[in-house]
Amino acid sequence: MRDCRISLIIFALLIVTACNDSEETKYKVIYSGESESEEQMDTPVEVKNSITKPATVAIVPKVVNIPYFNAVEKGAMEASKEFGVNVIYAGPNIADSKQQINIIEELIEENIDVLAVSANDPEELLPILNKAQRSGIRVITWDADTETEGREFFINMVHPETLGRHLMDTLAKHTNEKGDYAILTGALSAANLNEWMHWMMAQQEEYYPDLNLIEVIPTDEDPNKAYTSTLELLEKYPNIKGIIGNVSVAPPAASQAVTDTGKIGEVIVVGLSSPSQMREYLNSGAAQVVTLWSPKRLGYLTVALAKNLVEGIKPYDKQYIQGVGPISVMDDEVIMGDPIDFYIGNVDEYDF
Amino acid sequence: MNMISKFLKFKNYRLMPKLIIIYSLLTVIPMAILGYIAYSQYISSIEKQAGEYTPLLLEQAHANIHNQIDELKLLPNLIYNSNQVVGVLREEFYQTNSALLHDEFVVNNFLNTTYISGGNPNVLGVFLISNNRLFQATSKSYSGFELDASSFPFGQDFEWTESESIILPKQISLEFEGNPQYILLMKQLTDYDNRKKLGTIFIAYELNFLESIFEKLNSEKGDIWLMNDQGRVIYHSNHEEIGNIHIESNDYPILNGSFRTLNENENKLISLHTSDETGWTLAQSIYLSELTQRTDMVRNVTIIIFIILVIISLFLFVIFVWNVSSPIYRLVKLMKKVETGDFDVDLPTKSKDEVGLLAISFNSMVNKIKDLIKENYHIEIKQKDAELYALQSQINPHFMYNTLETIGMVIEEDDQETGVKMVTLLGRMLRYSISNKDRLVSIEKEVSHIEDYLTIQKIRFEDRLTFDIQKELETEQYYIPKFIIQPIVENSIKYGLERIEGIHILVKIKKISNPLNGGEEILLVIEDNGPGIDTERLIYLKKELKSDPTIKKDGSFGLINVHSRIVMTFGSNYGLQITSLESRGTVVRITIPCITSDLVASNLKMGESDNEKDISSYSR
Repeated sequence: MRDCRISLIIFALLIVTACNDSEETKYKVIYSGESESEEQMDTPVEVKNSITKPATVAIVPKVVNIPYFNAVEKGAMEASKEFGVNVIYAGPNIADSKQQINIIEELIEENIDVLAVSANDPEELLPILNKAQRSGIRVITWDADTETEGREFFINMVHPETLGRHLMDTLAKHTNEKGDYAILTGALSAANLNEWMHWMMAQQEEYYPDLNLIEVIPTDEDPNKAYTSTLELLEKYPNIKGIIGNVSVAPPAASQAVTDTGKIGEVIVVGLSSPSQMREYLNSGAAQVVTLWSPKRLGYLTVALAKNLVEGIKPYDKQYIQGVGPISVMDDEVIMGDPIDFYIGNVDEYDF
Repeated sequence: MNMISKFLKFKNYRLMPKLIIIYSLLTVIPMAILGYIAYSQYISSIEKQAGEYTPLLLEQAHANIHNQIDELKLLPNLIYNSNQVVGVLREEFYQTNSALLHDEFVVNNFLNTTYISGGNPNVLGVFLISNNRLFQATSKSYSGFELDASSFPFGQDFEWTESESIILPKQISLEFEGNPQYILLMKQLTDYDNRKKLGTIFIAYELNFLESIFEKLNSEKGDIWLMNDQGRVIYHSNHEEIGNIHIESNDYPILNGSFRTLNENENKLISLHTSDETGWTLAQSIYLSELTQRTDMVRNVTIIIFIILVIISLFLFVIFVWNVSSPIYRLVKLMKKVETGDFDVDLPTKSKDEVGLLAISFNSMVNKIKDLIKENYHIEIKQKDAELYALQSQINPHFMYNTLETIGMVIEEDDQETGVKMVTLLGRMLRYSISNKDRLVSIEKEVSHIEDYLTIQKIRFEDRLTFDIQKELETEQYYIPKFIIQPIVENSIKYGLERIEGIHILVKIKKISNPLNGGEEILLVIEDNGPGIDTERLIYLKKELKSDPTIKKDGSFGLINVHSRIVMTFGSNYGLQITSLESRGTVVRITIPCITSDLVASNLKMGESDNEKDISSYSR
């Protein structure tokens, strides 16, 4: 009897303590993986704090008020709205590195976070870019690169080799792979233009021995200069078969000159230009095909990558950029995508 | 206070319950507690193990799911691979129906080759809404997806950012043949080049890939489900739960890790892993009994063995305790018996242990006590015998002297006949007194001895003395102690003839019934008409008669001598009484028990050594 009672008391105690537990909470945590995830949560919170003041990105094109860079501006502004970053878009009236330096000088004073430059000259801009870096500004380049020490990475629209060889292919296709041709380029110092030209010539030497480059003419991205240069060219070389416009102002100017001289069909015009500038000439037959990428997309991408850079994310290969799609990265060079050909059948699909 | 009083109570318990309580306290309860602690520790370690292990498994499984979802999220981008399709999507107006139908053919064809026949087998169907056109390709026939706004939750013209969203089961009316479970990935297509909306793509993705992941996880019988941050079940091992809201998840204390329900009926271990990316939670819920199934068997066997061991050991212990306590009980009983005076006890012993030794010591102690008592008793009896002998032997030398002087006088007077008679009487008296081997004699012998004595005295005092003896019973039949009448008669003659001229002595012997117990006894009355005893002396005598007879007395008082002998022999119920009136006479009454000749004969046969028994039997 006695030990019965003792054991009953012990049982009662056990039950009582058990009851207390269940009253406190419905569940008993055995293992928590929470701590780890809390740490992970901390970092985004810090980032959010740091960007409560929106980042300011300065986009400096080679030149303003040409359709190509206007389209870039539109893309950049769209991204600015999308990502909530301040975008300052400022560039020289002519594609001149000295004016660009002055503009950058002013921008450094404006407390910007990222400076994105399309460089008119790979070397002349270096001092001012270095100065910007010293004052805590992250510098990247887009469209046209500088020397590598001047920036963190370069956003290229297309792979230069792909573009250069493709442009040569379009010319060869329409000239039946033979005859004289000339190239209208921008500034002779522009690195990207020179690289494209390098690959054009490489392609021609490799596959098209009957094609013959007779002249490379700088236009400084000036439509008027391009137009007059083309007229002079057509006069100087009556047997010329084709013109490659290596810069967006060149194909429209060349097409206009071909139209004005009544040489539609005789002289093939290909090159880099936007559909909106070329729609008229493609439809009239003055130009056969132009190649480009979407400058809007480029502006958008530049702002997106600048914003990522502020948040500490560097671009990496096959990164999927919201609103742009996947990008590829080689060393410190970002490549936006593949070039687009515009011809009479599809030129109406594009609005830049 | 309570404890102390309980302890005190406990102290007073018998040995048996005490030992059993101590045994239980020292073995059964600690063993049970130890077993309980060990078992619960083991269970909780199993719990802990499962609780730590399962979330890791879930995390892996969740990673697999993520991979699949990530792949799924890449599917819409395949649209951008075809410039032709993108071109169609950019179209806004159609001049002719044929142009529209041609474009639909192109896109449907592309969707079919890209997603249905070529690509991922999990894709049930693809729908593309663009500028009021619906393109689709499905692997199964479907219903519930139309171009009008009512068929899907956000309407056609919803504002949607770049990122994709996943429509969970039962959020949309779309159903496929055979009712497979699916999620619908919805994504806005953007014209990256023109920076415009192209349309929206919906990809229905069958969830059976989760089934295989779940099956891999679910080695135990439990529920596995995947739910979003609102608790809506995306997939469940029990298919009926898919699409429902899992309400309990609001109460869950953590979103990553394991916990146990404390509900008595449903003791479950719930493990969760929540993805930071999607906010989806992969959960597994297992009944703890499933986990501990194997251990339960071991536990039950252990408990049964434990109970059997406890029963056996308790049984053995009870036997052992009983073996110790029952001899002690018997010992106590025997001791009580000894206390009442019965020394004829024997404690049987079988064992040689402490209890056996105790019994042996007890037995020897009782025997020793018995022997000592016997010895003491014998000594006392012998002393009494000696005393009695001494008392009996007393024949008054005065009487001898007087008798011899009388004989001398008779012979001087030449009365030869009287002289011879007296010598004969004296001789008879002497022989009677010498033959005192028998302490009890027949009344006849005692009376004749008195007669002899009185006759001698009559010859000496002539007419001054007269006597009469009345026997009212068969004097041969009954026995009395020797010499109990003579000292009284002697006294009467001595004091009577000292003071008066003549005296008459009457001796009466009769049988009376005891007024107290109704038994028979013998009454001897010796009456005289002498001067009586003066008051002072009578009081002294009466006091002497009441006092302890064993204390040595002045032997000169014959009365007291006789009384002491009777009391010593038969007990204080019997004895001598005196009544006396001065100058009128004295009456002495002696009462003794009825002792027949048969009784004396039977006692004699038993021999001398049993004297003490005689006494005790007489006294009864």
